[in-house]
Amino acid sequence: MDAVSLIPTPDAIPVHWFWLHLLLTFTTFLHFVAMNIMLGAGFIAFTAPFWRGNDVMPLNSHIARTLPYSIALTINLGVAPLLFLQVLYGQFLYTSSILMAVYWLSIVGLLIISYYAAYVYRLMDDRSGLGRLYIGTTVLLLLGVSLLFSNNVSIMQMPEVWLKYFSDRTGWLLNFSDPALIPRYLHFIASAVAIGGLAIALYFEIRKRRGATDGEEWIKLGCKWFTVATIINFGFGFWFLGALPETAYNSATLGGKVFFILVVGSVATIIPSVAYAQTARIFPAAAWALVTVLLMTLARDILRLTYLKPYFNLSDLPYVAQYSPFIVFLLAFIGASYLVVWMLKTVWNAKEVSQ
Amino acid sequence: MNYPVWQLEFLGGGFLIAVIAIIHVYIAQFAVGGGLFLVLTEHLARRRNDPGILDFVRRHTKFFLLLTMVAGALTGVGIWFTISLLNPSATSVLIHTFVFAWGTEWTFFVIEIVSLFIYYYTFDKLSTRHHLIIGWIYFGAAWMSLFVINGIIDFMLTPGAWVENNNFWSGFFNPTFWPALFFRTFFSIIIAGLFGFMTASFLKDKELRTTMLRYSAKWLLVPFLLFLGASWWYRAALPPHIDVIIFQKMPQLRNAITLFLVCSPLLILGGLIMAIRMPTGLSRTMATVMLVIGFIYFGAFEFLREGGRRPYIIYDYMYSNAILKKDMDLVAESGVLNQAKWIKHRRVSALNVQAAGRELFNVLCLSCHSIGGPLNDIRQQVRRSSPAELNLIFATMGNERPYMPPFAGNEFEKRVLINFLNKRMRK
Repeated sequence: MDAVSLIPTPDAIPVHWFWLHLLLTFTTFLHFVAMNIMLGAGFIAFTAPFWRGNDVMPLNSHIARTLPYSIALTINLGVAPLLFLQVLYGQFLYTSSILMAVYWLSIVGLLIISYYAAYVYRLMDDRSGLGRLYIGTTVLLLLGVSLLFSNNVSIMQMPEVWLKYFSDRTGWLLNFSDPALIPRYLHFIASAVAIGGLAIALYFEIRKRRGATDGEEWIKLGCKWFTVATIINFGFGFWFLGALPETAYNSATLGGKVFFILVVGSVATIIPSVAYAQTARIFPAAAWALVTVLLMTLARDILRLTYLKPYFNLSDLPYVAQYSPFIVFLLAFIGASYLVVWMLKTVWNAKEVSQ
Repeated sequence: MNYPVWQLEFLGGGFLIAVIAIIHVYIAQFAVGGGLFLVLTEHLARRRNDPGILDFVRRHTKFFLLLTMVAGALTGVGIWFTISLLNPSATSVLIHTFVFAWGTEWTFFVIEIVSLFIYYYTFDKLSTRHHLIIGWIYFGAAWMSLFVINGIIDFMLTPGAWVENNNFWSGFFNPTFWPALFFRTFFSIIIAGLFGFMTASFLKDKELRTTMLRYSAKWLLVPFLLFLGASWWYRAALPPHIDVIIFQKMPQLRNAITLFLVCSPLLILGGLIMAIRMPTGLSRTMATVMLVIGFIYFGAFEFLREGGRRPYIIYDYMYSNAILKKDMDLVAESGVLNQAKWIKHRRVSALNVQAAGRELFNVLCLSCHSIGGPLNDIRQQVRRSSPAELNLIFATMGNERPYMPPFAGNEFEKRVLINFLNKRMRK
């Protein structure tokens, strides 16, 4: 039995795959930004008291206040890429999810617990003692969820490991045999911590510009986290690159060339970001960091295509055109963006800055 | 046939999805009706200039936020995860057919999240006018989410002309779309009243508590008549064969029908009792009981709706075991073991006959039957029937037993499967 014979037959897509992929990449990028802020800021709130003791206020108070928002947004912004991923790669994603079904379904429970723990952390006064238990629960569970997501991606991209199903059909499979799994996971986590640090700096920078006077120390702290985590992440990144199959960066193929350019581009854009953070110019630092996240998102897309190339090409997907629902979606998207911007602007104009 | 089967035994037979779906839909419908409850109650508080009612709205919003935003949203993701594990083929059809309906629903979900956070955190920061507008935006987005999801859910029960033309709009505005939309809208308002009882019963001020309990009772009682009208319309819109399956042919649905019929007067009676002035402890207990009755009521309805689809997962198109109706002849000719992708024992011998039987059971039966579980336990059903009766069940699947798909494999596979059931499930 070979893995190719196991790949399910995909259903037809209603618009050209390019549009679906564009939406997948765009919404994945938004999800990654929100996820990095959520996980990174949570991680910093959890670990900061270990060496700063009780000297974590008002940083942890602000993180506690904003964490439920970032969790809600991360989950919400995760729904859309998961949708478009299913449309384009459902035959791979459903299969990998079934192979690790118990773990996959446990994500729902883990997220509910971590979300409620974040709310308890927000609503309670104690940010050092018992509070640490709650933020710790949130962060550790989210780290666990990330590992499960990495596992699913790994199984999805490697149909050759699907044969393991015949020795365990009860949904308890993971793919630790993939040499790229752990470095990929650590690369994501370190990037989240870096972006989380930068988000903290940006948050206090915005408050400073609106008249708050308590932010200088936390802007520096955020930049420090960003810089250190980014430097560490170079190590994880090289480990990850080394663990990838050669085809991923083979310069003889178009995919390999594009992947190489995107990785070099990511390095080239993160360097000015770190440099700006060192001089406390937070806005340009954040702008360059966003470009890096976008390039990494694109690199990830290319990597997925490379992994699946022996088995599948997007142009193989059956296509039966029905564009009218797509137009309705675009109109809803534009309308929703307008309403969200209007609501945020209304609040922004009304909000007082607490000192 | 196309995907691997998750060998879920005790929690199979629809139990897992039933639990997650009923919890989610109850909370999700609260997220719709509750949104209207919030904004209209705030209007009332502002009009009367009553800080007590406004404070109640604020507390109720906190409860609403914590319940709908966390448990509601995540059990929604949970349903998605669960159906893709239990029936990936049907999920794939739903996702591919309605990708932009799901996408549109997601845009409403974004509006819901942003507006609800703003609504809760800006009672004292925004002007009354702006705060009320945000409340209306929330409700509008929540109802539009219901509008979109309603089209997809009812498509599964009554896909209508879609089966022939595969057109998105035929599937979305299917024969039960409008009655189901009204049915769910009125029910969501009723649920808002039930949850209103819960938070109102915790108010310390006796006068305010009584006022808000009576106010919540109106939310339960006034839409109830409209709800009953929509229920009648919904039933009338069902194709006759589905009506027969639900109300006559499926013994498993009788309990759900009874529960639905018993809970209707209970809810009305409970609503009237809640309007009477009661001590705090009693009103809290009553509020909890009412919430549970509402849950059972709605659970019974969802159970009926799901059951009514049998033997299909997408009516008239795909059977519960994910075999397409149009493929039945092909599968019968070449055999399940040859047609299904994720099969290890394609050739049956004396050495692997039980293993092959198990694979047939996984592909053909596991989507509806648990093994030793609380729903559709295959062990119980096999033990209840003699070997001859078991043969008769296989002979009558799809005709005298219209809630079961016809046996999809060939005669040899039928014998292998019956042998497996007799040997392994009769113990």
